[in-house]
Amino acid sequence: MQVAFRACSVQDLTAGEGLRIDSVSPPIAVFLTEEGSVHAVDDTCTHQDASLAAGWVEDCRVECPLHESTFSLLSGAVDQPPAKRPVRVHHVTLHGDDVLVELSQEAPNLPPGMGTV
Amino acid sequence: MIIDPLDRPLPGASLHPTLTGDAYTDPEVFRAEQASIFETMWNCVLRADALPSPGHWRTVQVGREEIIVVRSRSAGIRAYYNVCAHRGMRVCTGYEGVSRKLQCGYHAWTYTLEGDLAAAPNLTSMPDVDREDYGLRPVHVREWLGYVWVSLADEPPNFDQEVLGEVRTRFGEVESIDNYGIDRLRVAESKTYDVGANWKLIIENFMECYHCATIHPELTEVIPEFADGLASQRAGGAVHGSGFGQDVAGFTVDGSESGLSELPSIAPDQERRYYAITVKPQVFINTVPDHVIVHRMTPISPERTVVECDWLFAAEVVDRVESGELDVARSVELFHRVNLQDFEACELTQPSMSSKAYKGGGALVPSEHHIGEFHEWWRRTLR
Repeated sequence: MQVAFRACSVQDLTAGEGLRIDSVSPPIAVFLTEEGSVHAVDDTCTHQDASLAAGWVEDCRVECPLHESTFSLLSGAVDQPPAKRPVRVHHVTLHGDDVLVELSQEAPNLPPGMGTV
Repeated sequence: MIIDPLDRPLPGASLHPTLTGDAYTDPEVFRAEQASIFETMWNCVLRADALPSPGHWRTVQVGREEIIVVRSRSAGIRAYYNVCAHRGMRVCTGYEGVSRKLQCGYHAWTYTLEGDLAAAPNLTSMPDVDREDYGLRPVHVREWLGYVWVSLADEPPNFDQEVLGEVRTRFGEVESIDNYGIDRLRVAESKTYDVGANWKLIIENFMECYHCATIHPELTEVIPEFADGLASQRAGGAVHGSGFGQDVAGFTVDGSESGLSELPSIAPDQERRYYAITVKPQVFINTVPDHVIVHRMTPISPERTVVECDWLFAAEVVDRVESGELDVARSVELFHRVNLQDFEACELTQPSMSSKAYKGGGALVPSEHHIGEFHEWWRRTLR
């Protein structure tokens, strides 16, 4: 059974922005949407090494800051090239202000050069 | 580079010397002007409302540099050199745009609207890279009269002293330029003139009215006193309100009613009068009771200057112009003609600046003597 870990506090998050958590490998990104929901996905774009936490959140999707692929925060699915593969979505539960994340057991879709860490 | 002053004429002499011809043609002189004047002083670059919301950007030329002016999310209007901190490519390409990031198209180095480096390929594996040090290099920004002013100097001249102080002092307390509320006006018409002449010829033309009776028939009909050759700008930087002719109803191409109300806060001395000042090095401000005309110049080469001219009216007037209820064409046409007449004269003067016949320069008549103050300033600044 997978155990959730405390990734951060809700107080660490800014609505519409992401927070990179690099205490896990590969790093994840936690987002607070303008609507108030909290999500966690892999931080690294599947196209090229870029931090999705630095991207833009809109309509429960995050746009990679480098190119224009966006990923669903709900399913991880990508909408348009250059990225082709989804990011993993990690299960989030809130315990008070604590953001608890249960990491996905799937293999990550890391970009070239980031396969093994 | 020859910028030594000629000997002053004897006291009482009618004619004062101009600059020598090479001041208007020499690439070395022009380079020195770009460095010591345009890349140092405050330059008026665009109307602030041209950037209506965060992410709107424009590129402008200041001296020899291209500058991005952008409305940021959290820090108002900011301006940066259009140079990627990575390998130097132009970050913004084109004249204007809207985007939520400023991204170089070469290696995708990506900057926030506040200028910090936000993302780059492999940036997470380079944790020692300082996001501010490797952000876009900022330049100093001020907003005044509803315009964005930038200075590229490391330590810019004191804006309050050099720009505000000078303009306020010259207009005087009562005739304050503030009365026109220029920051609240809106642009109804804007025209760009690509002028084949040195920027100083354009300033010198603007400072005097000895030419008015010859080349500005419409303007001289509206302001008959211009036929005496005296401009609104006078010796010592003083500004004189030039009165409209008795039968003139408005500052329009044919002197007819403009159909517009006076701007609400102007003083009695500003009614039926035209005022003009030069804000060195590249701005002219012309005020009449119901609108304001602002010119800003960008020198491109010794022989070429781009002049952008805005006609500013009360916001409600511009609303009515946009909805088709009101027409300000006759008001705009007057100064548009003045511009075309002036710039044609400057273009016909420029080729002579390299003539053997003008090597030693020409002459300033008494109503032009105050242009000598501009020349003194120019020599002092380039020294």
